[in-house]
Amino acid sequence: MIHNNVLKRASTFILLLVVLLASAILGIGIGAISIPPSETVRILFSHIPGINNFLTAGWQPEYATIIITMRFPRVVLAALVGAGLALAGAVFQGLFRNPMADPYVIGVSSGAALGAVSNILLQSIVNIPMHYGIPAFAFIFAVMTILLVYNLARVGGKAPVMNLILAGVAVSSVISALVSMCMFFSGNQLHQVVFWLMGGFSGRGIDYVYMFIPYGVVGTTIIFIYARELNAMLLGEEPAQHLGVEVERVKRRLLIAAALLTGACVAVSGMIGFVGLIIPHIVRMIFGPDHRTLLPAVALIGASFLLIADVLARVIIAPGELPVGIVTALVGGPFFIYLLRRQKSDMF
Amino acid sequence: MLFNILGVTCGYGASPVLKDASVQINSQDFVGIVGPNGSGKSTLLRTISRVLKPIHGKVLLDEEDIYQISAAEVARKMAVVNQEQGLNFPFTVKDVVMMGRIPHLKRFARESPKDFEVVARAMDLTDTVILANRQVTELSGGEKQRVLLARALAQQPQILLLDEPTSYLDLNYQIEIMELMVRMRRDCGLTIITVLHDLNLASRFCDYLLVIKKGYIHAVGTPHQVITAHMIKDVYGCEVRVECPDSIERPYIVFNGETKRATEGGERWVHVVGGGGSGVQLFRNLLNGGWQVSTGVVNIGDSDWQEACRLGIKVIEAPPFCNVGANEAALNKEMMQKAEFIILAGIPFGTGNIRNLESVLEEAERGAPVIVVDNIDINKRDYTGGKAALLYKNLLQSGAQIVNNEWEAIQLMEGSAVNAI
Repeated sequence: MIHNNVLKRASTFILLLVVLLASAILGIGIGAISIPPSETVRILFSHIPGINNFLTAGWQPEYATIIITMRFPRVVLAALVGAGLALAGAVFQGLFRNPMADPYVIGVSSGAALGAVSNILLQSIVNIPMHYGIPAFAFIFAVMTILLVYNLARVGGKAPVMNLILAGVAVSSVISALVSMCMFFSGNQLHQVVFWLMGGFSGRGIDYVYMFIPYGVVGTTIIFIYARELNAMLLGEEPAQHLGVEVERVKRRLLIAAALLTGACVAVSGMIGFVGLIIPHIVRMIFGPDHRTLLPAVALIGASFLLIADVLARVIIAPGELPVGIVTALVGGPFFIYLLRRQKSDMF
Repeated sequence: MLFNILGVTCGYGASPVLKDASVQINSQDFVGIVGPNGSGKSTLLRTISRVLKPIHGKVLLDEEDIYQISAAEVARKMAVVNQEQGLNFPFTVKDVVMMGRIPHLKRFARESPKDFEVVARAMDLTDTVILANRQVTELSGGEKQRVLLARALAQQPQILLLDEPTSYLDLNYQIEIMELMVRMRRDCGLTIITVLHDLNLASRFCDYLLVIKKGYIHAVGTPHQVITAHMIKDVYGCEVRVECPDSIERPYIVFNGETKRATEGGERWVHVVGGGGSGVQLFRNLLNGGWQVSTGVVNIGDSDWQEACRLGIKVIEAPPFCNVGANEAALNKEMMQKAEFIILAGIPFGTGNIRNLESVLEEAERGAPVIVVDNIDINKRDYTGGKAALLYKNLLQSGAQIVNNEWEAIQLMEGSAVNAI
């Protein structure tokens, strides 16, 4: 019976992986210039050492340029951000035992937004273009926000979940006001600020992927290490403690890890909502609450979801492009409502 | 010594809930923590379960301060069953029980066949096998409690701490869980420390009881030493009777409510003509209402007679199975004339006690304040071939007050006092 479960799990994950790869190939092929999937695969393979010897370069050279310099980094980034946001959401929801928790509720996203917006303003004031300024600021502000929230919530060495959520909501609303204030004073930078806030991947090159990866790897690793502890913590903090989980330590590390991921996501792509809220929900409905299954599934499905959303963002008003945040909200929201209505049981 | 609690003061914020508590608990002890709500029982449990660090003092487990060793190390020795809580996620029952293995598993290690074996045994012991594939969110309170107990047993602990494990359970499961604990103690060498609300359950199953009153340990000892009417008056502030047939049986508490004895009765006197159990409840209600009560004539051994003797009520008695004689009837009428009211309960009449009815009728016709409780049709309780029914009919027309039940009788009497004033 155990053996059977392992097989079933493995095949499910292989399926999810195939879906992700297929949507990636689709994502690379679709755009203003459409490239057939077979060409896409061949071009991609030609860049893998060892395999390229077996391929003859029969494709149009401009296809290769488009794929390697533009589409490939964009698709990879969308997948990474999708996985990152969804994982961060799963961690916040599990940690807070609250279905409404996500990077927004705890204030991390707002913090990152404030960082980015203040950077845009700063650039216009001191008139120095800073290529990596926006992501760096966004990231630093995100981590600072989580530290602020955690310390506000702390009473006598412990940060109870309820305090964390309240502190998060309070800090988040103050930060949102500051963001609005920045926008109010942004003058002719307003368009840039608004565009960034709406979130998207247009024009993001491979350097953004490199920027994301270190934080992504660290955050994801920490989260996967504590999958079992997250399960125990769903039973409540005291029961988890009684099962041998060092609750405060695990909570602190997971918060930092989720903030790292969120900060990195917001830094490279702006504010993309709904992924962190919906994906963990949907996956929990399908796979159950066990984080050892849930987390990898969340990462894969989150990646595929944002990838497809990005494709839609590119095709809906082609040759123009919608901010992907709008697409995730438009597609994700109704689907989410449908699932909740259909389940009719608890929110979780 | 397994557990050594040394001068522990603990609580939340600045004000300590539990003050300077010291207890030693030996291996395989079965200890009950009892006390009123808010006395600090659960706080003590949280402190010794490594959740609430004491402000002063130490908790030593096997000579080691539990706040100096890791949570996992403590969890391998000690399992805790909290009050039903936290099962709000759709894990299956077997998943939740398997979580009991967390302290024993290395990071990323899969559960081994041994872990499955331990879990199966824990579920078997707690009667949760049939629930294995159900989601915990769908279970009743009692089922959840048993699942939590299974999870605790899956930890294979030496010590089991429980916070009111029986509070959500039906009577049969309360006893079953306590008996399971006794068995686990014997077979697996478990030490059990449990907060209990039910003093009788605590007395019945625990070796030692720890009584907490307002943050202090009030008493420690065996149930025989601790469960006394005096202690309960002291700690809970209520009057009870503690019965203990012999030194083998555990003492148990009987709530004697606020029933007063006849000796404590008030100034006003009421005479009840009853018999055959019709007076049992009425006597108590009258005594509690502050009345002096007398009754008669009843046969010795009759249930009203027994109750009257128990409560110390004046009773005019006739020998067993004999008719009411002239002497008794005279004494009875004497009582009726002294009393402020005479109540005739809805009793059956036979040749034995028809004289009582005659006495009441005579008094009523004399103008005495007779109250007739007319709750059952007289024809259904006339065993004299119509004689009693005739007398009864006369009684109803004699000016006696007619009421439908005992409460109306008492109301009537109390109301008359108000009128008199």
